[in-house]
Amino acid sequence: MADSTQSEFVTLVSCDGFEFIIPRSAACISGTIRRMLDPASKFSESLSGRCVLENLSGVVLEKVCEYFMYNEKHKDQANVPDMEIPAELCLELLMAADYLDT
Amino acid sequence: MRYCRANRRQASNIRGPHSALTDFLASNNISAAQIRDDYGRRVAEVARQAAEEEEDADLDMEEPEYEPTPEPDSPEDKAKKRKRQQAIEKIKKSKEFARRKARRTGEPDDDDDALANEMMDENQRPTPGQLGNCEICGKRFTVTPYSKTGPSGGLLCAQCSKNHVGGDKKAAPKKRSSGIGRRQNQSNLLDGLTSQGTQSLLETCIKKVAENISDVEEFGDLPPPVMHRLSQILARRRAITSTTLDLFLRPQNKEINIYDCAKLDTDDYHKILATMPNLTRLNLRFVTPMKDRIFQYMMDRDMNIQDLHLDSPNLVTDEVWRQLFTRLGPRLRSLKLWNLDSAFDDETVEVLGKNCTQLQRLKLKHLNKIGDKALESISTMKTLQHLSLHVSQETTPELLLQIVTELGPNLRSLSLEEFYFADDSLLELIRDKCQHLKKLRLAINAEFTDKALANLFRGWSNPPLSFADFHRVRDVDMANPAGPPEPVGLASDGFVALMEHSGARIESLNVASCRHISYAAYEEAFGEHKRYPELKYLDISFNGMVDDYLAQCIFRCCPALTRLVVFGCFKIRDINIPRGVAVIGTVGAKLTIDGITQKELV
Repeated sequence: MADSTQSEFVTLVSCDGFEFIIPRSAACISGTIRRMLDPASKFSESLSGRCVLENLSGVVLEKVCEYFMYNEKHKDQANVPDMEIPAELCLELLMAADYLDT
Repeated sequence: MRYCRANRRQASNIRGPHSALTDFLASNNISAAQIRDDYGRRVAEVARQAAEEEEDADLDMEEPEYEPTPEPDSPEDKAKKRKRQQAIEKIKKSKEFARRKARRTGEPDDDDDALANEMMDENQRPTPGQLGNCEICGKRFTVTPYSKTGPSGGLLCAQCSKNHVGGDKKAAPKKRSSGIGRRQNQSNLLDGLTSQGTQSLLETCIKKVAENISDVEEFGDLPPPVMHRLSQILARRRAITSTTLDLFLRPQNKEINIYDCAKLDTDDYHKILATMPNLTRLNLRFVTPMKDRIFQYMMDRDMNIQDLHLDSPNLVTDEVWRQLFTRLGPRLRSLKLWNLDSAFDDETVEVLGKNCTQLQRLKLKHLNKIGDKALESISTMKTLQHLSLHVSQETTPELLLQIVTELGPNLRSLSLEEFYFADDSLLELIRDKCQHLKKLRLAINAEFTDKALANLFRGWSNPPLSFADFHRVRDVDMANPAGPPEPVGLASDGFVALMEHSGARIESLNVASCRHISYAAYEEAFGEHKRYPELKYLDISFNGMVDDYLAQCIFRCCPALTRLVVFGCFKIRDINIPRGVAVIGTVGAKLTIDGITQKELV
């Protein structure tokens, strides 16, 4: 239990079963995921380090994870260009971003 | 017409025998002689062109056959060679040749013959539509205007063109001029975006959606705040048209915010009202084609509009405004109007004052036709909690006193802009009457004295303000730039008193152009142990004495700062900007953000 809260990586699961394992610090850019994983919350997610995001499809979650990593990579740089988003995905991703509070 | 014809007849009195047809043609301004001449010229032209083409064709034939394997001995070949030589001579005399030569001088390859040969080859290349052989793969293909030239001057087929271009791109990566980056940076800064890290995914997506708005068929279940942001971005891109408007029309929604209606027409407003019957908040800007019948429709349907915010509905007549206030006035909670010049006069404000019995917010900005009488009517609206006035006419200061006396105890925000003749008595009255203000704007005035302003803030029973704006409250006298000995406008004492009074809660402070605030006053206000925990926006433009040291003091005292506006503060030369702060308006300064020097930001 204590291990999972301290583990460096967390698992994000999409509604169609795709799993993405990314660094905790990157995932916590999202307010929603941060609160899920907050040890003080005692949510099952915070204990297992595994977030099932029922309303995100694999395709969208993949892009979200890409953003998490992109953000992590560029957080100390100036004038970072916006991440490329395919036009057909942007409305879904917009909803996801709103849900995830990123 | 008749006059002209008569003239012509007179001029050609003497003529030989002619047919009825010639006569008829002449009467229709057609001359047989001219037709004959034209025909002759055309025939001659065709003959000349044919001769030229023959010559060209000869040259065309010659190159592929003989150049790769020159056999100078054949007599036939000599003839061809001579012809080519002639053509080259011709090229050398042409203007185009002279032009190219002029362009080439200075380059090592300054050889007339080589240049002429090159031009000759160019002339002989197949023109678009003709067939040619690819220089690389030898395949036969149709030449198009986009066919590329190969390494040795011949044309390439589509496939080889592509490969060739690919090679080119790798060799020379696209260069961005430094100017674009700088402009973009400044633009981002003005938007309050700091240059560090990535933008939020939400913001990135919203921008992307706005870029592709023409392909979006429906927004689906977007939450209202996201819709609002999208509306703002689209308005800024001036992309709101009849078609994009449809995306925002949701029958169940209670509010609509469109910040740029310039491309909509009267029917679109009709559409908004018809498809959104539950509307309680109508916020439309730049609504030029808003007409009486839209307001009539609103009244006929007895719509439950509570918040009406309209910018420049100039085609609505006073009569209909009055009807609107009479019919729907009692349910209005807030009314904000900007930029009205052809309608909305004092009498309309009187009707407004009488009928809008629930109105809590009133904002009237840049209204041309209202004056003293309107202010008098406003002073009777006891329900007002937020009042914002910026009228274009000159008004008497006594009426402002009346407004503050009547409404002051109830007011949460008070914004009075460009009331030139308001003086210290207004400040005293505000101190006496207003105890619940959160927002106070007294801008553009040269009558308030520093002493009275300081007096307002010292010991004022009003809780700390969260919004204060005193821009351009200063003495203007070209002959005496230092100002009178007894300071006029928000100067040192007033500034220190303001910060003492409101420092704990202040979020937004604008003291632009208050140029009599001294260095010492800044040092005191932003001293080592002072903290302004909520200050996010600070505008100190044209406070010329602010230097690097003071700027650093400001950063130290305002941990929540996101924007610092410093237009005209030329002593800011080299500052360390904390993360997340956008400094707007520096000129040629060296900005270091969190240890990263941003030369291109300058």
